Amino acid sequence: MLILASTINTAIIGKGLMIGGGLIGPAIGIGIVGGSYMQAVGRNPEATKFLGQALVFVAIIELMALLAFASIFIVK
Amino acid sequence: MFGYFADSGPVVHITSLPLFHIGPLAITNSIFYGWVCSALMCSLFILAARHITLNPKGGLIQVVEAGVEFIRNLVETSFEDKERSYKYVPYFVTLFFFLLMNNWLGLIPGVGEAFSVGGNPLLRAFTGDLNATLAIGLVTMGYVYYSSVKESGVKEYFGHFFIGSPLNPLYFIIGLLEMLTDATRVISLSLRLFLNVTIGEIIISVFSYLGGFIAPLTAVPFTLIEIFICALQAYIFVILSVMYLAIAVNHSTEEHLTDDAIPETINGNAKVTT
Repeated sequence: MLILASTINTAIIGKGLMIGGGLIGPAIGIGIVGGSYMQAVGRNPEATKFLGQALVFVAIIELMALLAFASIFIVK
Repeated sequence: MFGYFADSGPVVHITSLPLFHIGPLAITNSIFYGWVCSALMCSLFILAARHITLNPKGGLIQVVEAGVEFIRNLVETSFEDKERSYKYVPYFVTLFFFLLMNNWLGLIPGVGEAFSVGGNPLLRAFTGDLNATLAIGLVTMGYVYYSSVKESGVKEYFGHFFIGSPLNPLYFIIGLLEMLTDATRVISLSLRLFLNVTIGEIIISVFSYLGGFIAPLTAVPFTLIEIFICALQAYIFVILSVMYLAIAVNHSTEEHLTDDAIPETINGNAKVTT
């Protein structure tokens, strides 16, 4: 394991795992928000006016993805 | 082929770098560009205010008017009491235009690595610096706390964290947790804006680097997405701070139910007459 760590730059693997794992949750979350919005519009076409509020929730979820992206700059 | 890509990555800065010093204070490139943007914004709005009429003609004036009207409607619909909301409109309109101008002016070509002074880039988006967004967040949340305490009084304001009597230990702990959640708002507001702007720039630089000699083609879609996201982030910063204010202010206008308002049948002592 020590030989492996000395020959391969393990930080790159760590960065890949970090950003890949960190983006799974927000992707599911944004999908749920968008799906619920489309469902609400399908059931009640007057619900189109809530697009701004749906985008607010997208931005709240997006912060988690951005934190995962930003933390790859900390790993050396 | 791969050697071409692997020799040096795209130049990425996640922090602002100092340009020159005034005494012990280092003036960074984002502060410098923030001054430029503030001067541009002041001149634009003074120009717009000079030319304002009942039936505006120029395109610029109409754009400014539409933005002001948009934020005014946003603040108005969030508050239950419309008369109360008008005095908060100027601050949020200023905030919206400040963030929008700074986000968009950070995207124009030439801002970033194009010009450099002493090895550091000369221009950088003002909102692409955590110190700047933290300052904006602190000022905004300070204003929100000050206004909500002023509207509802100190006792009422602290009372709205507790769902029941604070003497009940469970409600007391829930109220403390609510206060802790309240304190993280500054950090979440500032981090969201900073990360969106900075990571947008990083993504644009990465994709223009990957494009090689067709860089203009690969960078354009991401720049278009960024133009949308920058406007969205300015909107979201404003709507979240309006919501935080509206929650605290609306609570004080709520009518509390008294025993007189409850019908006798619900109260449990209804008299059954046969």
